[in-house]
Amino acid sequence: MNKQSFLKRFISNPDFSRLLILILMFVLTAVLQRNFFAKRAIVRNIDSFTPLILMTMGQAVVIISGGLDLSVGPALSLMTCVLTSVMREGVPISGLHALVVAFAAAMAIGMVNGIGIGYLRIPPVIVTFATSFIWLGIALFLRPTPGGETVDWFQAFYRIRNVETAPAFLKAFGETIPPSLLLVLTGCLLWWIVSRTRTGRYIYAVGGNSQSAYETGINTAWVQMKACMINSAFIFLAALFFVGQNRSGDARMGDPLTLKAIAAAVVGGIALTGGRGSVFFALIGALIFSFVSKIIFFANIPNAYQTLFGGVIVIVAIAASQLYTLSSRRSGQESKLT
Amino acid sequence: MTILEARGIRKHFGGVVALDGANLTCKQGKITGLLGANGSGKSTMSKIITGVYSADAGEITYNGRAVRYHSPNEAKQAGIAMVFQNMSLVADLTVCQNIVLGAEKTRGLFLDNKAAAQLSKEIVDQLLPGLDVRRMVHELNPGEMQVVEIAKAISTNPRLLILDEPTAALEQAQVKSLFDTMRRLVSKGVAIVFTSHRLWEVMEICDEAVIFRNGRNVADLDFSREVKDPEKIVSFITGEAGKATVERTRRKENREIVLRVSNMNYGSCIRDVSFDLKRGEILGIGGLAGQGQHELMLALAGSYSGVTGEVELHGKKIRLNKPASAIRNSILLVPGDRQLEGLFLGHSVFTNLIFPKLGLKAQPLFTPEKKYRRESEKIVDTLSIVTHNLDMPVNSLSGGNQQKVVVGKWLAFDTNVLLLADPAKGVDVGAKRDLYEYIVGQVAENRMSVVLYASDNEELIEYCDRLLIMYEGRIVATMEGEEITDDAIVATSMRVR
Amino acid sequence: MSFLSKLRDTPVYEAVDRYKKLIIAFLLIVLLFVVGEIVLETFFSLGQILLTIKLASFIALFGLCQMVVIASGGSGLDLSVGYMATMTAVFTAAIMDGQNSNLWLAVLVALGLGIAVGLANGVLTAYFKLPPLVVTLAMANILQGIINAYTAGKNITGRPSPVLQIIAAKSTGLFPNILFILLILAPIVTVIMNKTRWGLKLFGSGANQTAAYLSGVNVKMVRCTAFIISGTLASLMGLMLIGNMGIAFKDMGSNYVMPSIAAVVVGGVSLTGGEGNYLGVLLGAIFLQTLTNLLVALGWGDAGKWIGFGIVLFVLLIVYVSNRRKR
Repeated sequence: MNKQSFLKRFISNPDFSRLLILILMFVLTAVLQRNFFAKRAIVRNIDSFTPLILMTMGQAVVIISGGLDLSVGPALSLMTCVLTSVMREGVPISGLHALVVAFAAAMAIGMVNGIGIGYLRIPPVIVTFATSFIWLGIALFLRPTPGGETVDWFQAFYRIRNVETAPAFLKAFGETIPPSLLLVLTGCLLWWIVSRTRTGRYIYAVGGNSQSAYETGINTAWVQMKACMINSAFIFLAALFFVGQNRSGDARMGDPLTLKAIAAAVVGGIALTGGRGSVFFALIGALIFSFVSKIIFFANIPNAYQTLFGGVIVIVAIAASQLYTLSSRRSGQESKLT
Repeated sequence: MTILEARGIRKHFGGVVALDGANLTCKQGKITGLLGANGSGKSTMSKIITGVYSADAGEITYNGRAVRYHSPNEAKQAGIAMVFQNMSLVADLTVCQNIVLGAEKTRGLFLDNKAAAQLSKEIVDQLLPGLDVRRMVHELNPGEMQVVEIAKAISTNPRLLILDEPTAALEQAQVKSLFDTMRRLVSKGVAIVFTSHRLWEVMEICDEAVIFRNGRNVADLDFSREVKDPEKIVSFITGEAGKATVERTRRKENREIVLRVSNMNYGSCIRDVSFDLKRGEILGIGGLAGQGQHELMLALAGSYSGVTGEVELHGKKIRLNKPASAIRNSILLVPGDRQLEGLFLGHSVFTNLIFPKLGLKAQPLFTPEKKYRRESEKIVDTLSIVTHNLDMPVNSLSGGNQQKVVVGKWLAFDTNVLLLADPAKGVDVGAKRDLYEYIVGQVAENRMSVVLYASDNEELIEYCDRLLIMYEGRIVATMEGEEITDDAIVATSMRVR
Repeated sequence: MSFLSKLRDTPVYEAVDRYKKLIIAFLLIVLLFVVGEIVLETFFSLGQILLTIKLASFIALFGLCQMVVIASGGSGLDLSVGYMATMTAVFTAAIMDGQNSNLWLAVLVALGLGIAVGLANGVLTAYFKLPPLVVTLAMANILQGIINAYTAGKNITGRPSPVLQIIAAKSTGLFPNILFILLILAPIVTVIMNKTRWGLKLFGSGANQTAAYLSGVNVKMVRCTAFIISGTLASLMGLMLIGNMGIAFKDMGSNYVMPSIAAVVVGGVSLTGGEGNYLGVLLGAIFLQTLTNLLVALGWGDAGKWIGFGIVLFVLLIVYVSNRRKR
């Protein structure tokens, strides 16, 4: 392919426009936020973006596999509640226990959703709608009111310098590379590995054309289950961050993130019908989303209106993304009714 | 040496017998052509061999052992691969990824993309040099997609390869490449079964040909010994003139033109189609399956937007850009796939019968139940629909009776033009007769006009006054009255004549 | 003929088969009462039953919104009903201000809001082809935002008109008045859906949108209308909510969204559309409310309630909806 056609293909590729929009949003935010380039502000921005980025990437994996997960918010809340219920202040080892138990819980959550979507073939929307209440209930059971205990070293997931007993070199490290960024990179690494294995390929195949995938001998149910469990892993990382930051568990803190994660994934180019999109571009979608929220914040729109704008943005974002993706894709040869 | 032998295979679907004791033998290093009309059973035979369907009776011997496969995957593991007509590709993966799907090589944990690219490029180059295996499948045209399907089947190194009409979407050059590949494969000892409606292809590439008719073998031609005679083959496919030509009073009056279609185009399905429909005539649309007949029906019914060309009804130009406009002009469609397009399966016979009435203007808010029930009962009576009562769910009826419901719902309407898209498909003989009796009667009485598309040539021969043959979206032949014979239809459909 | 096939021909068997899902729903309710009675001994009392029915009526009315939208097909679902009701309650509280005189204005406002929001949902889902789940969820957020903006910094003043209170909160003799509304509405709804042109068009669009389209039905318009109806109904429910509670507060409607959908599922209405049996939704609502009461009476509290809901819904989904057919 010569250079010119490569360039042309690159520009007409919708992903290119997404990058452009990202850069635009970045610039706008930088303009509006006065101390944008100050170190503290950068770290705080990264911190505030991290949860949505992780949730979006996880959701993207599920959507690509042909599913959808409405229970991610409550699942996140549940994991924070598990963490803060297992940990005992002043007992450092309990932190490790908490990690193990919470991770096991995450995998269990993924399996339940996966069984519903993959093996029982219940429409993902409805089944995750149902499971979201199970997670909520268990979370409320563990933590009827926000609270719980954490160990001191758990703050390392947020600010290493807050951990008194941490060695100096680690604290210095934490100042240059914030833990939130490390969590995001962990997530990226996780997906990078998965995408290069058979499972990663099959996630796309099953989401793209599950009948064909099945006829090729792929175990579609197991693949979808794995996608749900990968999603749980991302949520787990987000939970670590939250508990590190807030040092408490809350049964409802995750609720607003569900819709945002789905919307951000769509903005990032993930097709709700499945089989298409890049998890890394979903990350970009989350970034765009977050920058837009920041812009609204800095545009001095009264606090009260921000939820309102949030919802409007979601609709506009999804509408624009769907229209754009549909038009740039070559329409099928077959005739379509209605 | 025989690789696979299928003997005495029987298969039925509902009340329809697809295979009635059919046989097929596949020899190592030989290409066996499988010929037959629509519904002759050749597709069913292929699907039974490859495990898509299971036979009701008969046995299959593969490599000397009796086998029975329950899924295409099982057959694939054993070395039997099939290339279907329908898409089995994942549109959002690349050519290379599709070819190795399910059988990817890995280096440790990770996919070995390099090996996959190499393998797929090797195979694709034999079939269609220059096709970039890194391209996404959804960007390809149908011909290229078919090549990828074939590549995918070949990549498993099968011992028996079944190609079900692989050339339907291919251009000349691609067909030639395919044939080269096939010859290469057989030189390595692979056995190939090749079905196609293009007679000249079969005669060129096949070593022998097996002809099916009505689910049974009617001929076994060895091309190395016999002279290849297309007319003879056609006569095997259609059968000797055993059917008494039905005496039909084909009226040859000068009738006015009801519908005139000029230069209709729609994508690649309908290409520059023009024809007239006279009052009181039954105009048939025939040809091989999938040449645009179904799309033409839908276009005439206003189901597509974006159809170009002119349509005149009784001399007045009309626009058919949505179904409601067709219905308003009394152009009514009996859809081809009754389950997908024509019926509300979970609802009652009554609901289905009265449904179109709901779209009419000037109808009361409440459905006039009594009036509609009376009308529905009349319809059930007229068409002899077999059902306990009007409130039975329509999916409890047999296929033939379901089809009667699909036709029946238009009965109370004044019809200018009735579009029948394969009305008797999968319908038993009795119901078929009832349906056609009714339609022919209506035409005679009310002078309505019918456009009839049927995949079964018998129906076209028996009922049509005129017949248009479609090929690749165009009308390639027109026959009238006595000219409409089975031989003529098959021959023109296959482009022999 | 074997016994079983002879059995199949009897009218009793036919009736049972057709109403299978309704019967199951009813039996489930009975089961709950039995369990409650065994465990708690005071569960099966008249007061308990009446209270259940009253609260269930609210759920059933929201369930009607869902049923209309779900029946229209296309993965229809309306997650904005909760905040729709809340918004109307909040806005009309000040209009009514405890008097009957402005009730008519409040009703007009409610209708206006309901139609507007319903129209927005309908256009976005049917004409822009965005997934209803996401659209109505986002709409819920938008409505929540509007409420927040409106009530920013001030308390929500205003009380419902006494007429509303009588309808929503009070009872005539033993029976809660809202039940009468339901009893009047239910047959009307059933008649409209099964006996009118529009109702059949709705079912057709949900059952087989291609067949409906080819028969000349404007499927998009039908689905849009379904959302308008849902929005309007939810909005009117806002009046009921404030009538019942006496005041309006920010999250009034949120607790009804999940039960409204669950009631539809429990009632056996297909989530893909094409059918709708309001009696099933009623039974579903009663079942859910009884389940809630039982869980609360058992002392399981909030947590138990949600877990119970989730599990019951999950199990029912497996029974009704799961697609384990062999490929």
